[in-house]
Amino acid sequence: MWRDDIPKPPVGSFENCVRCQKQFTVTKYTVAANPPPGYLCHPCAKSSGSDPFKKPAAPRKRKPAADKRKVESYDERRLPSLAAICIQVISKHIDDVEALGDIGSMNLDEIAKALAKNRSLNAENAPLFYSIENERLVMYDVTNLTPPALCALASLNPNLTNLRLDYCGHMDDTVANAWANSLPNLKRVELLGPFLVRAPAWQAFFRAHPGLEGFLITQSPRFDIESMRVLVQSCPNLRELRLKEVGQLSDEFLEEIKSLAGKLTYIDLSYPGNPEALSEQGLIDLLAMIGSSLDHLDLSGHSSVTDGVLFRGVKPHATTLKSLVLANTTEMTDAGVAEFFSTWQGKPLSKVDMSRNHQLADASLDALLKHSGTELTELNINGWKDVSEGSLKAIPKHAPLLRKLDVGFCRAADDFFIKDIFERCPEVQEIKVWGCPRVTEHCPRKRGVNIFGIETAQIF
Amino acid sequence: MQAEEQDKMNEWVRLTSTDGYDFLVKRKVAMGSGTLRNSLSAESSFSEALSNTCHINERAVIVEKLCEYLSYKSLYDGAKKNEEIPDFQDRVQPEISLELLVAADYYDV
Repeated sequence: MWRDDIPKPPVGSFENCVRCQKQFTVTKYTVAANPPPGYLCHPCAKSSGSDPFKKPAAPRKRKPAADKRKVESYDERRLPSLAAICIQVISKHIDDVEALGDIGSMNLDEIAKALAKNRSLNAENAPLFYSIENERLVMYDVTNLTPPALCALASLNPNLTNLRLDYCGHMDDTVANAWANSLPNLKRVELLGPFLVRAPAWQAFFRAHPGLEGFLITQSPRFDIESMRVLVQSCPNLRELRLKEVGQLSDEFLEEIKSLAGKLTYIDLSYPGNPEALSEQGLIDLLAMIGSSLDHLDLSGHSSVTDGVLFRGVKPHATTLKSLVLANTTEMTDAGVAEFFSTWQGKPLSKVDMSRNHQLADASLDALLKHSGTELTELNINGWKDVSEGSLKAIPKHAPLLRKLDVGFCRAADDFFIKDIFERCPEVQEIKVWGCPRVTEHCPRKRGVNIFGIETAQIF
Repeated sequence: MQAEEQDKMNEWVRLTSTDGYDFLVKRKVAMGSGTLRNSLSAESSFSEALSNTCHINERAVIVEKLCEYLSYKSLYDGAKKNEEIPDFQDRVQPEISLELLVAADYYDV
């Protein structure tokens, strides 16, 4: 009943009772003294309340109830997955380079993805990816890296030119300041979730990296107009800019971005804190200034992206665009988009994403395919519910180079459409058909092609 | 129907490695891997389903460890709460752990 300090002496030997000091024979009923050490003779044991012959009645009643509880949870998965086991082994031997063998030949990127999927990238096993010679570092989930670990990241990879960290929620001012003092060669930084970093810290970071060519962040309510100003002033060579899901985005920001005219090739201002943050005229003016050098434009989630922006902004100025993303910009009309594509002199686009714009349908799709079909590799028309079967059939006909296609919620898509795609688009890798009830599990499959979203597919 | 399924599960399935080794496991055991389950299910007309052979793009050492884990998993997956499950971690040598991690991730094990 109580834990013993001294193991029980063998039955039949003589012991002295710690209470009354009398000698007694040890039996199997001898109890230990509480508090330990020592053992009690039978009379002292009884007087201290622990009669070994007393039958315990109460505990028995509770046992069946406890058993019932256990049965309910019997199919709880207790087996760790093999990936998790491997990660534990790796973490255990992280410092032992000999044990882990030749890391160089292994695809470090695959390992990074595997660790991120298990959400087990932490300060212990992150050093697996660090190296003094590293110029590129991509980590897909650094949720578990605390600020000191993020600072260490910078000091252990001093030659980084290219850094991408997804889910860096723990990144704060101390980290931004540490990075301002290290990472001298940093040219491109891509961060998802640096919402803790305050404006002054951003500004210090920009001032310390005048050679910055790519600044891509998603999700920051604290990035303000002052930070934007400092960015543009300190980093005149900026070529890629992403301010996605930035709460404070406004027309004032656009004014600042205009000074990057001529150099900017990639701009993404999607999903601002307020969908009406930018004005139609503001966008048109911006495109007028920077459109000529743009490769990639993303203005998703802005309610002010109208046909007007297409005609007066994109059409005359952004003629060298390769990739256009205008998802969830519901003010665009079918006729407007159709006319835009039929009269636009711009080069054919390779990536088009106009998903979740329910007004767009046949006219837009036909015009789009006529304009860009020959170069199109990625097409996303998720949500174009009114597209007819005829128009859909035009996709495989006009876009033979297609690799990724998303026709979610286009009700007219069916098994024959998928068959057409396989026949005419040899490069296709991924097809998404969420919300297409006429694509069934009997639709054809092709090796190497992933089809996502078949409603009647078996769930194992 | 049930009996037929049980019979099928008792069939042997062949897993081949890149360096010429073959491993035979029960179908029931191979189904422990999400990826293998999909390629061996008869309704996809993959050739694997028809020939009961799956080519694994890994060295034999890795395929062997994968089979070991799949057997371990099929043996202990339905274990009751108070049954002792032996530790698999000791059986993973650190020398193969990196390759095995990538393979385990791909085969959804």
